[in-house]
Amino acid sequence: MSATNEMMNCDQYRQAVAAEPSFDGAAEHVSDCAECRAFRDEMRALDADIARALQLDPPALTLPELPGIDAQDKVVSLAARRSPPKARWLALAASVMLAAVIGLRMFAVGVDNLSLADAVLAHLDHDPASLVASATPVSDEALIKAVPGNLAHMDHSAGLITYAQSCEINGKTVPHLVIQGEVGPITILLMPEEKIAAAQTLDGDNVHGVILPVGNGSIAIIGARDEPLERIEKSVLSSVAWST
Amino acid sequence: MNSSRTDAARRQKFDRLVVVFHGDMYRYAAWLCRDKAIAEDVVQEALLRAWKSLDALRDEAAAKHWLLTIVRRENARHFERRRLETVDIDNLTASQSALLAEAPDEQLNELRGAIYELEDDYREPLVLQVMMGYSTSEIAELMGLKQGAVLTRLHRARLKLKDSVARDEQE
Repeated sequence: MSATNEMMNCDQYRQAVAAEPSFDGAAEHVSDCAECRAFRDEMRALDADIARALQLDPPALTLPELPGIDAQDKVVSLAARRSPPKARWLALAASVMLAAVIGLRMFAVGVDNLSLADAVLAHLDHDPASLVASATPVSDEALIKAVPGNLAHMDHSAGLITYAQSCEINGKTVPHLVIQGEVGPITILLMPEEKIAAAQTLDGDNVHGVILPVGNGSIAIIGARDEPLERIEKSVLSSVAWST
Repeated sequence: MNSSRTDAARRQKFDRLVVVFHGDMYRYAAWLCRDKAIAEDVVQEALLRAWKSLDALRDEAAAKHWLLTIVRRENARHFERRRLETVDIDNLTASQSALLAEAPDEQLNELRGAIYELEDDYREPLVLQVMMGYSTSEIAELMGLKQGAVLTRLHRARLKLKDSVARDEQE
């Protein structure tokens, strides 16, 4: 609210003061208008009462059980649920060269997939600004900056894009986008260098999602637990094209 | 050794933030959900999430905004799981009515009741402005609104409270 607007009428001044009782603009008007001065004083007195009425004594501080801080603990049980079964380990141990090669290869694929899924989920909270419900679209400039032309092209057909940043996952540049879904913000990570063999489901703290294979890369789509993601997967896929 | 020192430093940073901001987190949660028990659950979830993503907080000067954003999100998640029911102030649960029982005098108690009954869209920016000291641009950013919309909501919220106080005084 500008404090320099001296041309306000009574309605405008009272709107400004009711929105911000500390508003100190329109000094000339308020010095000439007793009713507006009274309204201002009333709003300021009301605000002092509101501040007192809002005060609450918090309960004694008790911390939740805090898990370890390595990457595996930042997400919920995904790794555990996808750990190779014991039988696979036994098979690896029981075989010599050929079985070991095959087994290690299977394990390597599994580890790669786990790392990507965990990295995607662990990335969700890196920037609280990305998690805000919003009706304000990002500018074309911001979208192009986050999704550089040498990486991919993305149009606006997937939905209202309200967040676009260039992030890093597994050491690779990843456009991080947010569109507004039916329940809340939906995170989209464009990963042109993360090739996966098949779609992977994601299951995190109150969120769910999927990593879809797209050419030589993949796209992660994550939303709130109740968000019907399948409805937008197709539109997201059709809105993105890799540059390479 | 370096790892344990890093872990200890991380824990110290977290504890410092919690001690400073736990009260604000709880009050914000309580006025968002209007239920003391749910507010405590929301804060616990928010603390856990803050701990997990603490490394994302690089500027401690932004810690309050960061933590309140997490509280806001956890509150939304809570009510995504349990759709928010309309609250009838004459038929509150013990945990809801406990929020209203703390005002030190009758007049403040009535004002607290009026704040309680404000629509979420009006109550939240008022709490952020009056209790958290947020500017209207900061409220707009947190709530994903335009600043003009925030000003309108604050204006309407105060006029509703003013009318409510006037009615109480007449009765």
